[in-house]
Amino acid sequence: MSDLVAYSEKANAWLESVAAEFGRSARKGLSEAEDLALGRRYLKARFDAGYAGINWPTEYGGQGLTHIEKVAFETEEMKFGMPTAYFGISLGMPVPIMMKFGSDQVFAKERVLKALQGEEIWCQLFSEPAGGSDLAGLRLRAEQDGNGWKLNGQKLWTSWAQYSDYGVIVARTDPTVQKHKGLTYFWVDMKAPGVTVRPIKLAGGDSHVNEVFFDDVKLTDDHRMSPVGGGFAVAMATLMIERYVATDSAGFGPHLDLFISLAKEVEVNGRPAIEDGRIRQAIARNYAMRNGLDAITARAMLMMQAGMEPGAEGSLNKLVSVRSRQRLSEMAIDLQGPGGAHFDEHAPVKENWQTSWINAPTGRIAGGADEMLLNTIAERILGLPQDYRPDKAVPFNQIPA
Amino acid sequence: MSLLYDEGQQAIATESRRVLEARVQTDQLLPLLERQGEFHRPFWDTAREQGWTALALPEAYGGLELGLVELGLIALQAGRSLSGAPFLTSSFGAARAILDFGDDALRGHWLPLLARGEAIGAIAFAEGQSPLPANPTVKFSGGKLLGVKDAVSAALHADVAVVLAMNDSGPVLAIASLKDVERIGFNTFDNSRCIADLAFNGAPATVIAQGDAALDAAQHILALQAVITAHEQTGGAEVLMERARDYANTRRAFGQTIGSFQSVKHRIAEIYGLVELARAGALHAATREGHADFLKAAAAARIQATEAYDTAARDCVQVHGGIGVTWEAGLHLHMRRARTLAMEQGNMLFWEDVLVNELAGENA
Ligand SMILES: Cc1cc2nc3c(=O)[nH]c(=O)nc-3n(C[C@H](O)[C@H](O)[C@H](O)COP(=O)(O)OP(=O)(O)OC[C@H]3O[C@@H](n4cnc5c(N)ncnc54)[C@H](O)[C@@H]3O)c2cc1C
Repeated sequence: MSDLVAYSEKANAWLESVAAEFGRSARKGLSEAEDLALGRRYLKARFDAGYAGINWPTEYGGQGLTHIEKVAFETEEMKFGMPTAYFGISLGMPVPIMMKFGSDQVFAKERVLKALQGEEIWCQLFSEPAGGSDLAGLRLRAEQDGNGWKLNGQKLWTSWAQYSDYGVIVARTDPTVQKHKGLTYFWVDMKAPGVTVRPIKLAGGDSHVNEVFFDDVKLTDDHRMSPVGGGFAVAMATLMIERYVATDSAGFGPHLDLFISLAKEVEVNGRPAIEDGRIRQAIARNYAMRNGLDAITARAMLMMQAGMEPGAEGSLNKLVSVRSRQRLSEMAIDLQGPGGAHFDEHAPVKENWQTSWINAPTGRIAGGADEMLLNTIAERILGLPQDYRPDKAVPFNQIPA
Repeated sequence: MSLLYDEGQQAIATESRRVLEARVQTDQLLPLLERQGEFHRPFWDTAREQGWTALALPEAYGGLELGLVELGLIALQAGRSLSGAPFLTSSFGAARAILDFGDDALRGHWLPLLARGEAIGAIAFAEGQSPLPANPTVKFSGGKLLGVKDAVSAALHADVAVVLAMNDSGPVLAIASLKDVERIGFNTFDNSRCIADLAFNGAPATVIAQGDAALDAAQHILALQAVITAHEQTGGAEVLMERARDYANTRRAFGQTIGSFQSVKHRIAEIYGLVELARAGALHAATREGHADFLKAAAAARIQATEAYDTAARDCVQVHGGIGVTWEAGLHLHMRRARTLAMEQGNMLFWEDVLVNELAGENA
């Protein structure tokens, strides 16, 4: 047995041992506040068990292992439906960035430890009304204010801002230079005067994203995490830092087995659905696709273990899997006949076709819209030319609105 | 075959669009998603007041003696505005069942009420996954119905239902008043469809067709409704195409409108193709009523329209980026409606089979 297999098995055994307390069934019927509280307790337990910050340095409370063990643990953890969603972005991007770029490392260490134990949550304040796919189009201003800075403007789509203690933020410090060059990166205290968080309700009924308004929010200069005007590079580093994550070839929707069970239970026009050619094709095609994605992931793990860089094909997962989850969920609803209209907006997306379907579009937009992922593949991997960009080489304040 | 709309038909389209756009707003529809048993009253009041409930019924019963083409035009506009209740289609289906297969007593009682919109009709054929079960489990014996019909649209408010049931010798199609029938409502992703299970516990009913004729009659009613629904789906897809276009023409990224990106532009142009195919197919089907190829035309229209609306819903949201998935922007009203319309009166899998059966039968 390889070390990694042993590691996974041990992790799985620990997860099994706490599943009744924190897992899927323990979470049924909880309010969001209760679920969040459970999540905080789970993170504490995970920390105590030695499965927090797996690939982070030990002096920051991590385990000092590699991203291989981290991905292996996450892969096991995903099976249990633990209440980790509130902390996913926090521990995925802002906190490691703080660890890497925070100027006051004593403070940073304190934050990292609290975040790992579920006591504090960080959010990522990048997107704005005018800066989504085009992140560098953002407008929130940071102006020099004595020795420090003053923030004014609005962020949009900030996941979990309503529960966050801190956030990382990109602001425009110089509108007279090209759009990428006038940005600076800071961390902010979400409880500071002048910060207002307003939840936005999404199509599926939940409200985990927010608008965040900044009204003369003052920062001392030690909040700055990039050179003045060098914020875009740190923003890119933030988006890249989680390169090695557990993937889900089900597109974060239900496992294909659930579709197969459904097809075995129901009929299509008087015949078992599982014998219907269209259903068989959908199953076969989805299986083949997911099989391919899983094999890409497995190979990436092998490459990492061998000390090599995984290939660019890993970027396909979200693009391919979420799109097909959307279609498969529609078909599963169809298979249920008129009764497919039954709806429980709180049903977990990994177990319910209706919530999987209604929430699928967010997966095709959040974390990079499909079109942007395709652009990245075309331009970065394949070397195809970029689209015409009239805003290139133009000072930000002269780009026609 | 198709047809060119005449002046009267064009006036129906323009007028119904004008009145619906004035009276139905997204912010009135959104709260209905979270309330069981409610529908958009201004929509239904408008439908009654404008005579849409009477449109395709004979004058003898207070109808306006127009047909599928005209009712289709209304449904298309209703689809654009997200019709606030399923009753226009469900009542039309019930009325046609009574008109085409019922006796004078049934007609004389129900048709004037349905024409005035004072009664609401529902179609209760489906059981489990099957839109048209050949051996329904709901029993008809001694003039009474026993058993449960699952997830019937409009059932929470309907006064009369056309029920596909089973007696000793085979399937029957029966008309039942729902006065004393239990309605078991539940939460759905599109609550203004007023969906409920109907539990018949000895409700009296009148048979209008038996044996194979009952199944044929039921199939015919579904086909008539499918043509109306195909128009409604076309309207929904059309308005989504327009919203995607308008957004792509105004939303800016990378120093240009996002409509200048070919992937966005082509996505919207593809919706256009689907909408026009759906529109043409729906109108064609509306003109084929009474002809031997009606079922085929209805099935084709339904398939094309379902594809158009589901795709337009997916793609219009995608073109909107984050805004597309907010509650307030309301595009999910269309996502939800696209799915409910895809499921009512038989889903894609059903109509594909109907169509292929027709085509294969022709070849035999
Ligand atoms: C559920 C959810 C959670 C999120 N959480 C966070 C968060 O925590 N922090 C944060 O900062 N942001 C967050 N976001 C924001 C997310 O990153 C943006 O929504 C996303 O980048 C798209 O930006 P946009 O919404 O402005 O859409 P737009 O950029 O306006 O895109 C609209 C459409 O145009 C297309 N398009 C744009 N540019 C091009 C191009 N060059 N070529 C082809 N097509 C193009 C897009 O693909 C899309 O279809 C979240 C979003 C969602 C939906």
